[in-house]
Amino acid sequence: MSGDARGWRMALLPHTLTNPRTVAGAALPGAALPGAALPDALGVLTACGYGVLQLPPAGEHGLLLAVIADQIAEYAHHGYAVVAIGVRGEPGGGLHGRRLAPLLRHRGVAPPPRFSLRPDADAAAEGQRLAAFLSGYDLPEEEQRRWRV
Amino acid sequence: MTHAKVALIANCLLNQNAKVCEGAHYRGVVNPVVEALRSRGYELLQLPCPELAFAGVRRWWAVYEQYDTPAYRAHCRRLAQAIAPRIEQHLRRGDEVILIGLDGSPSSGVRFTSSKPDWGGRPNRPEDDWDIVPRRGVWIEELEAELTRRGLPAVPATGWALDMGRFDEAGSRRDLEQFLDSRGIDPAAP
Repeated sequence: MSGDARGWRMALLPHTLTNPRTVAGAALPGAALPGAALPDALGVLTACGYGVLQLPPAGEHGLLLAVIADQIAEYAHHGYAVVAIGVRGEPGGGLHGRRLAPLLRHRGVAPPPRFSLRPDADAAAEGQRLAAFLSGYDLPEEEQRRWRV
Repeated sequence: MTHAKVALIANCLLNQNAKVCEGAHYRGVVNPVVEALRSRGYELLQLPCPELAFAGVRRWWAVYEQYDTPAYRAHCRRLAQAIAPRIEQHLRRGDEVILIGLDGSPSSGVRFTSSKPDWGGRPNRPEDDWDIVPRRGVWIEELEAELTRRGLPAVPATGWALDMGRFDEAGSRRDLEQFLDSRGIDPAAP
């Protein structure tokens, strides 16, 4: 795929990690969630060359989750690496797993490997832990060679 | 009550893996767009990618006319119905909502889309022979129609000029920042 810069890797990201602050005002990298300190996950993903599939906040999003499941399945079936970044302490990590897992199973896709950020840990250290996870993850080389030409 | 600032952004601005083959200019996130929005306090709301969900990640390049079909428009309407409740919630509570599309895209173009009525058949067109015309892409047309059906006001919109033939990042950044910084300025004010 000459002249194409895609990184072939992406992460499912909860609403709260895409938007560290959900009130008006500047959302600065490293901004803390109320009562918790979390790294700027979107910044870490950007630096590691990952794309993002944003998940909605808690609530009923049946049709939207089905649309997102369609996209995950399309990527998973064509040589793209997909992971999920959750937040410990949020219901389901903010990843809608109870709704998304059956949608993925129905499409022949296993749930993506999951990384959980710990709000009670040091934000900088958590950022480094996330970066290490992201940098170290990809599909097996045989699978990469099959698709990434 | 505090009102949020919300930017609806084309799917591929957060995930360049959604682009058609040879169309990705970044590894993943289009950081200049994210930086410009976050530094101004905008919450990001990623729109679905209509082309990926319809024709897949290995789709051919296409122009507006090839996607202007009843089946593709029905698909776009389904996606619009999936995301519209979230947009409606923001608009109903008085949040500032803007849309950042992808200029030149047959689907996500805002100010411009790609056009070539005679494209079709064997995919062997010479390089970059489509035209850029001032028009919405098919997906943006259907999304706006869905918001109108819900009785919602028009959302101020612009496009990141990624699919205009030759990509100029610095120019695109200036253009986007000008759009963002003009928000909330009353032209009638002294």
